[in-house]
Amino acid sequence: MGNKQTVFTPEQLEAYQDCTFFTRKEIMRLFYRYQDLAPQLVPLDYTGCPNVKVPYELIGSMPELKDNPFRQRIAQVFSEDGDGHMTLDDFLDMFSALSEMAPRDLKAYYAFRIYDFNNDDYICAWDLEQTVTRLTRGELSAEEVRLVCEKVLDEADGDHDGRLSLEDFQTMILRAPDFLSTFHIRI
Amino acid sequence: MAAHYRKDSYEDDAHYPDYLGSRSPSQGYSKPQVYSQFPGLLNNLGRPSPRSNPYAAGSRTNPDYPGALAEPDYPKSPSNPDYPNPRNTPNSADSRTGADYPGSLPEPDYRDLPSNAYRSGSPGEPDYPGAFAGSRTNSVYLGPLGEPDYPGAQGDSSHPSPRATSNHRGSRRNVGYGGFSINPYADSPEEPHYPGAVRPPNSPRFFGKADYPGADGHQNSPNFWGEPDYPGAEDGRDCGSSETPEMARRGDGPLGILGRENEDFPESIEMTSRDMASPYSRSLPGTPGNGYVNPAYVGESTPGCDYGNPPLSECDWHKSPEGQKLIASLISMTFRDRIKTIRSQPKTMEEKRKLRNIVDREKSKQSYHTFEINYCAQCLSSISLAYRRSKNSLSELLDSISLWQKTLKVIGGKFGTSVLSYFNFLRWLLKFNVFFFVVIFSFIVIPQFTVANSNTVRFTGLEFFTGAGYFGNTVMYYGFYTNSTIQHRNSGASYNMQLAYIFTIGVCLVICFFILLSSMAKYFRNNFINPHIYSRGIAKLVFCWDFTVTHDKAVRLKQKNLSTEIRENLSEIRQENVKFTFHQRLTRFSVHVMAWLVSTGVAVACCAAVYYLAEYNSEFLKAHKNPGAVLLLPFVVSCINLAVPRFYSMFRLVEWYEMPRHEVYALLIRNIFLKISIIGVLCYYWLNIVAPSGEQCWETFIGQEIYRLLLMDFVFSLADSLLGEFLRRLIGMKCITSLGLQEFDIARNVLELIYTQTLAWLGIFFCPLLPLIQMLNLFIMFYVKNISLMMTFQPPSKAWRASQMMTLFIFLLFFPSFTGVLCTLAITIWRLQPSADCGPFQGLPSFIQSIYSWIDTLSKNPGYLWVVWIYRNLIGSVHFFFILTLIVLIITYLYWQITEGRKVMIRLLHEQIVNEGKDKMFLIEKLIKLQDMEKKANPSALILESRETEQQGPWRLGEHDVSPDLRFRRSVQEENPKA
Repeated sequence: MGNKQTVFTPEQLEAYQDCTFFTRKEIMRLFYRYQDLAPQLVPLDYTGCPNVKVPYELIGSMPELKDNPFRQRIAQVFSEDGDGHMTLDDFLDMFSALSEMAPRDLKAYYAFRIYDFNNDDYICAWDLEQTVTRLTRGELSAEEVRLVCEKVLDEADGDHDGRLSLEDFQTMILRAPDFLSTFHIRI
Repeated sequence: MAAHYRKDSYEDDAHYPDYLGSRSPSQGYSKPQVYSQFPGLLNNLGRPSPRSNPYAAGSRTNPDYPGALAEPDYPKSPSNPDYPNPRNTPNSADSRTGADYPGSLPEPDYRDLPSNAYRSGSPGEPDYPGAFAGSRTNSVYLGPLGEPDYPGAQGDSSHPSPRATSNHRGSRRNVGYGGFSINPYADSPEEPHYPGAVRPPNSPRFFGKADYPGADGHQNSPNFWGEPDYPGAEDGRDCGSSETPEMARRGDGPLGILGRENEDFPESIEMTSRDMASPYSRSLPGTPGNGYVNPAYVGESTPGCDYGNPPLSECDWHKSPEGQKLIASLISMTFRDRIKTIRSQPKTMEEKRKLRNIVDREKSKQSYHTFEINYCAQCLSSISLAYRRSKNSLSELLDSISLWQKTLKVIGGKFGTSVLSYFNFLRWLLKFNVFFFVVIFSFIVIPQFTVANSNTVRFTGLEFFTGAGYFGNTVMYYGFYTNSTIQHRNSGASYNMQLAYIFTIGVCLVICFFILLSSMAKYFRNNFINPHIYSRGIAKLVFCWDFTVTHDKAVRLKQKNLSTEIRENLSEIRQENVKFTFHQRLTRFSVHVMAWLVSTGVAVACCAAVYYLAEYNSEFLKAHKNPGAVLLLPFVVSCINLAVPRFYSMFRLVEWYEMPRHEVYALLIRNIFLKISIIGVLCYYWLNIVAPSGEQCWETFIGQEIYRLLLMDFVFSLADSLLGEFLRRLIGMKCITSLGLQEFDIARNVLELIYTQTLAWLGIFFCPLLPLIQMLNLFIMFYVKNISLMMTFQPPSKAWRASQMMTLFIFLLFFPSFTGVLCTLAITIWRLQPSADCGPFQGLPSFIQSIYSWIDTLSKNPGYLWVVWIYRNLIGSVHFFFILTLIVLIITYLYWQITEGRKVMIRLLHEQIVNEGKDKMFLIEKLIKLQDMEKKANPSALILESRETEQQGPWRLGEHDVSPDLRFRRSVQEENPKA
């Protein structure tokens, strides 16, 4: 493996360090993880900022995401074009937001985006249904799912507009102390 | 009929911006329209608001306020309040029909202002009426429309881009027209005073109304910002033209345009951006206490999708007001905060990098300006850079020694966060002990090595268990340390062992105290942000999927557990109202009382047993010379620690708690009570019976006892993990399959850790190497627990509030455990007499005497008088502590009061949110009704509108037409009582 001087310029590394919650070593580790996903595709020299995207099929097959029921949403939310194909920047962004150091609001923001399946900036009943179905792998009946969604909206919808805005979501997340530790993917 | 329309439409016009504003970028524009109702709001706006006026005006009421157009050009009217008032008063006062306009329009103040040019310009437009009448195609209709709004264009023909934009959006607009195209004609007779202005006024108005989704407001805005009268408009134009393709691609860029406006007028950035930020953050009406009003977040939370386009063109977001504001705030931050803020932006890497570069550039520019000649600044910056680099590498170094990263990942992947928290706690304790060990080793043990005598006691294997014999004569125990001052032969440097011993341990404990306190505070802050709104809720189940879990089986199991839990929760909700009969409640209450009595009784009995055993043990030891006999007491204590907690957990068969959390808490309290009281009894025995008994070197004896306790506990938990749990697995798998696999009992395991750590802290004074032993203990335990976990356990079925439990564990570690240790050690040091012929303090009446005599010697040396002064006046003084306590009490009281106030505030704000939500729903319903009526009343409009609906989508139309009213009506409602 090439050493880190040849992969990134020091300025690049510094920029990455400033823009993510990672140390240099972790960035390198993530880079190699990224590179391993598609060794033919990703060059070992990033000093020229090559425009490379790893397709979603490969991203989704990472052991960290492979079994995650939300893997597709995660990839979509963090990829620039929303199609799940990720550049290295997107990749680092994703794990930075999911790292231990990321603050609650950042995590809440991305969690909101992940649960917002139709990208309309609100979590509506349909989004909730999707979430619940994924969470329970279809073990609940349709009636139960509907009840759960109703209940969730009832609990978390602060302004009673029938859907959850980001603010509603953040308020609710404040009440769930475990969120910080569970919205976290170890690398 | 026409009047009805007019009124209606006008109402729409007047109100919807407000509503819109609450969720779309147009609020900035809309404010001027409402400000007569919101004087307070207005004052906030201050200067920039006149500037945003034209937008409001231009977007729909433009013609009614030609003056508004001129406003920016109107340097003599910087004070907002007096300016808008004359114009808006009629507006708010009357029924908002077109008839009022005459009153407001002929304001003489504006006559001779540049607006005249505009007015005269618009009638002079030859193609306007024709186009209007001729056809309703956008391009034609729009053209004239755009132009009257566009005074800038008259003076400056080099404005192709804004117009291009408006044309581009024409397709959308035209839709809007349909329904109300009659109105302008109907209205025009009503406003005869303005031959020139009549048409343009009406058309944009209706236009604005129909076009409602907000695009129009923005659409007109380019015209205004492009006005040559604005200072710096050149920039704006450049910007505009360069961005036009961008906007075209994105459908539109209301914010982008606005952003440019702000950019062009840097002096207004602050204020306008506040305007901008607020509407976004207010998508949830009435959450001023939202706290986190990060404009950047907010920006992305706007329902841009409703309009089918993002509110911000992403590449240029940093040019937007939020971006500008962010950059401005970043520049004023310290380096660390800046990096932290940049990292926390929910942007893509590219944007963050850009932001960072911009800020760095600005920063360097700034520093260049300020310290042009000052080399100091450069020096400082290079130092800070070097500091930063070294800190980075240091953190990397620390990171590289972070243990078990991989193992923890596997555990998290298989068992989830809750089990992981146990291992994290273990690792945290291990780090603690490493620190203790390093400090003690370097300041006590190494100096002692330099003067060590050779050990004459023969080593047999049994010492590992008893800790006595050979070990008694090593650096391990207190008794081995010398009381002399170690003097280097050549140089005069001397090392007072007494002081080193007492200070090292004291400093260790103080540091430990603060670390515990800070981590406890951190956990509390993170996990109990607002405990009183904590409720059991299904929402948390749904949104708190554990992303750490990556193992295939674990994921499936977790999904299954989650569905069970959700089902349980649902059934709970369904039968929430089931009340217990008096008899049932009485039974349950008595069962609880019984359980508590039994558990307390058992604990007390255990303590008594341990006490008498310890007393008897000393006689027993005298009779038996077998060195293994000393193991009796630790064996019994460990047996109690192993058996009684299991007995306690059997209570769950008879006891029944409403919430599983209560059960865990009850179990924890009983267990901690048992363990701590056993340690307490032992301490009492050591300090009150052993120490004054005059036994030879009682400190070493206590050290050995603690060592044995620790070791025995280790052996027991080892056997328990490897044998007991394995047997349990065999039974569960082979014999009684109904039992199934075990779940990892986090509470019991963590309590074991707390128990051993308490012993380790307690023994640190008597056995300075105890941290090393505890270190090894924890290290081995990690692997043992890991193996047994992987072999014999299944993930916990209940969602376990791991982080809250962590808080509780650290609190328990702090409160009974660490404070108890501090008390015991304080009694030892201040009250007890050290043994006469061993250890560093031999011959002294008490341990603390060494400090007193040191102070005495220092007071003879004039160079150290300040130390003496500090000691006498601060540490040794009662008055100082009295005052300190008072101050701390006062501060605590104040903070408590503040917290109480905030709680009330939070409750009120919450109620307000709920009320606003209700208001909103009510008003939306009302408006929908009104609209229906309107549709019924005028079928032709209905047809047109339905055509419009086809293109815009019914929901969108309904939503936006409905929305505007809310705020306005609210504001009227609010205003009325005040008035």
